[in-house]
Amino acid sequence: MRDSRVATGDKRSYFDIKWLFIIGIVAFLVVFEVFPMVYMFIKSFFPEKSFSLASYKKTYGYELNRISLRNTLVSAFGTMILGTLIAFPLAWLVGRTNLYCRKFFRGLCVMTYMVPPYVGAMAWSRLLNPNVGIVNVFIRRLFHLSMKTGPFDIYTIPGMIWVLTSFYYPYAFITISRAMEKMDPSLEEASRISGASSWTTLRTITLPMMTPSIIAGALLVFVSAASAYGIPSIIGANAKVKIPTVTTRIIDYVGLGVDGLSDAMSLAVFLMLLANLVLYISTFVVGKRKYITVSGKSTRPNTVDLGRFRVLFTVLMFVFAFIMIVLPFVTVGLTSVTKNLGKSVLEEGNFTTMHWSKIFTRKDVILSVKNSLLYAVISASFGIVVSVVMANLLERTTIKGRRIPDFLITVGSGTPSVVIALGLIMTMRGQFGLNLYNTLWIMIIAYLIKYLMMGMRTVVSAMSQIHVSLEECSRISGAGWFRTTMKITVPLIAPSIAAGWFLIFIPTFYELSMSTLLYSKDTQVIGYKLHYYWTYTSQQQASAIAFGILLFIVILNSILNKLTKGEFSI
Amino acid sequence: MSVITIDHVTKAFGSSVVLHDFTETFGEGEFITLLGPSGCGKTTMLRIIAGFEKPTKGRVLIDEKVVSSQTVFVPPEKRDIGMVFQSYAVWPHMTVRENVAYPLEIKKVDKGTARKKVDQVLATVHLSQYADRIPSQLSGGQQQRVALARALVAEPKLLLLDEPLSNLDAKLRESMRFEIKEIQNQLAVSVVYVTHDQTEAMAMSDRIVVINNGTVQQVGAPSAIYNDPANPFVADFVGKIDFLSGLAEEGRIKLDDSLQSIPYDGSLRCPVIVGIRPEWISYAETGNLKGTVKSHYYLGDVNDCRIDIGGGKELRVITNPFESGDVSKGKKVSLAIRKSLVYKKESFGSDFLTIKT
Repeated sequence: MRDSRVATGDKRSYFDIKWLFIIGIVAFLVVFEVFPMVYMFIKSFFPEKSFSLASYKKTYGYELNRISLRNTLVSAFGTMILGTLIAFPLAWLVGRTNLYCRKFFRGLCVMTYMVPPYVGAMAWSRLLNPNVGIVNVFIRRLFHLSMKTGPFDIYTIPGMIWVLTSFYYPYAFITISRAMEKMDPSLEEASRISGASSWTTLRTITLPMMTPSIIAGALLVFVSAASAYGIPSIIGANAKVKIPTVTTRIIDYVGLGVDGLSDAMSLAVFLMLLANLVLYISTFVVGKRKYITVSGKSTRPNTVDLGRFRVLFTVLMFVFAFIMIVLPFVTVGLTSVTKNLGKSVLEEGNFTTMHWSKIFTRKDVILSVKNSLLYAVISASFGIVVSVVMANLLERTTIKGRRIPDFLITVGSGTPSVVIALGLIMTMRGQFGLNLYNTLWIMIIAYLIKYLMMGMRTVVSAMSQIHVSLEECSRISGAGWFRTTMKITVPLIAPSIAAGWFLIFIPTFYELSMSTLLYSKDTQVIGYKLHYYWTYTSQQQASAIAFGILLFIVILNSILNKLTKGEFSI
Repeated sequence: MSVITIDHVTKAFGSSVVLHDFTETFGEGEFITLLGPSGCGKTTMLRIIAGFEKPTKGRVLIDEKVVSSQTVFVPPEKRDIGMVFQSYAVWPHMTVRENVAYPLEIKKVDKGTARKKVDQVLATVHLSQYADRIPSQLSGGQQQRVALARALVAEPKLLLLDEPLSNLDAKLRESMRFEIKEIQNQLAVSVVYVTHDQTEAMAMSDRIVVINNGTVQQVGAPSAIYNDPANPFVADFVGKIDFLSGLAEEGRIKLDDSLQSIPYDGSLRCPVIVGIRPEWISYAETGNLKGTVKSHYYLGDVNDCRIDIGGGKELRVITNPFESGDVSKGKKVSLAIRKSLVYKKESFGSDFLTIKT
């Protein structure tokens, strides 16, 4: 009796401060993520108070929209297949064999993860432009071909798939290689000792065990490619017969002003449902079938001896790395110092630093860099606080509602950028009491919804590595929950916090799709500016900006590498 | 049944040598245990036999045929070995039956025969009723049996077991010990078994290979290892023992820091280390050593006492309660030493329990 009274007393006198945080985070996500998405969904079916499919009939009645739908599905599907076909052997070679320079290749494979995709699209348009593409000209000369165009044309659906693949296969690579690292090597050894060769083991044990992760990775590539805007807009807009996709159509419609919004919504709802379906499948259907068994004993990872193919595979990897990474980045760099794009930069008098000095003196460029830095710092800082709190809730408490914000953050990150941005445009213009339109806040909110998860996952996984007793000891010494978090937990997971901060900062800094929809005269950011320069001003100046961004990211990455002693870097 | 010859095998990972010049022959149908503390190199030896590691120097022969050497390497899948892993390594994406049938499938055994063999081996490990379950529905002990069945199904002549019982609870571990022994007798297979648990080694082995720091300390039957250990490390690692230092003289060993001595009929005449196991001592009216009971634990089946024999030395004495009489704390007792081990002090020095050869 006495005991129970004390217990009730406790509950009353010490209000659980964690609830405040949960409620705060959930409220933020409900208002800015759930509400806009639900609103768009409902509004698209109730354009005039009563249920009607009129807006869908209208939107999908246009042939151009049907084509864009087909283009999106075809290019995303193609990217998924090609990306997974690249990612699995790559993950296996880098993770499980005695390939030379494995660590180096591993680093390269995830590098494009942190580079703005539209930069890749710019580079590949320079390389594979049917008329003046560097690779095309080179091949025509090499084989004395008489044709004026080709043999490659980047401004096609296969071309688009190629660029999309080179930027989105790392998603599958990372998913698969993580699962491969966690797999108990004795599962494969057991197969070998049962009489199966390395090849049979790969086919009957490794591959089937990896299937759920492969599917999850493939789906991630699919949805990323389907929601991409940067690459399809650069590739598709320059094609002889334009290649519209759902994302580029949505942005075109929004550009038309109020008249386009209904059509934009009907397209966005399609994209949103597609993304949610994929997310559902990979979490609840595939996720349930993941067989990750962690071995009780730390076994030295058993590497497969490639034997006489070792050198061959290593050479192939170098060729792959050259094509995927070196070639495009060097192209962007060279383009930024070329006077006349019709000629090689090596030709007499064709080298110039003019474009660089131009972009460093243009007021609009400097303003947009300032804006991007400011927004990225605010987003990353706010995001990392939420991440730390979330990690604490998920890993340290058993409060009932703690999975709700986690779920919402995951949904947010899986939602296509253009959908998030359109949703905010539709609901945050004052008609529901909150007018954020044309402010920096609407952009920061959009960035947070999209990129919060990257930071959160990093901090959560670091938190799960720290034994709870370290914190319990602080509590027993008299420190409260908040103080324990600040004094014990945060210092211990500091490297992951730094990494998480950068993981939000970097994509936010160069963000394009959401910014294109949400910017105003005073809130232009560098991603948008770069796209604008490429399309309307000068490819060389755009390349200079792009190369500047790349350098900036490389520097950030090496800082991150130093800060976390090599544990986190991209 | 097969014979394994290990011929001067040395294994180094970079500059750290984990196995040092290992030479031994394991006979047909023998149950051999590689015993030693963790990190001693026993698992590495097993993995060299299996073909998961290549020896840095030396050769391994199975049935007179070289399987590992500087010039020859037979991959694991061509060695016809059954193996059970510490983590069981039961494939989670296959049912119990599919797991067990896998080695036969690889060997392209026809379906009917395979099915019969799988049923048979599942019956041997008492898993017949679980044949169609998936591994995640089984307990640790059952998964362990799946691993055993899979290792046995192709009727290998050689079975390798890598600490197979270390993840099981105490009761199950004990019963599995006898089951594995039963199965070995039934199928007449040679076994190489790795463990750090000396009781397991004693209970199951025909011969035990005691390894420390990559070097073989002693090879022998359990009784020889226990009663006649080659050095203080083996004596200490297998069973309980107390060490006293003293000086060997004609007919007795004079203990250091003490006026007492114990009888000795050996030929050494030098400083020595004397090892005495607790059950080699009994309480007697006219014993060799006088002492005082310092602590006493009654464990039901035995009385476990620490006896202070002066000079800061203690001896542990474990006796049958029916024979020990009153051994309460503080009582003066007299001890009869029935057996002792005597080692030359200079060969081992002061850190004789961590022998590095």
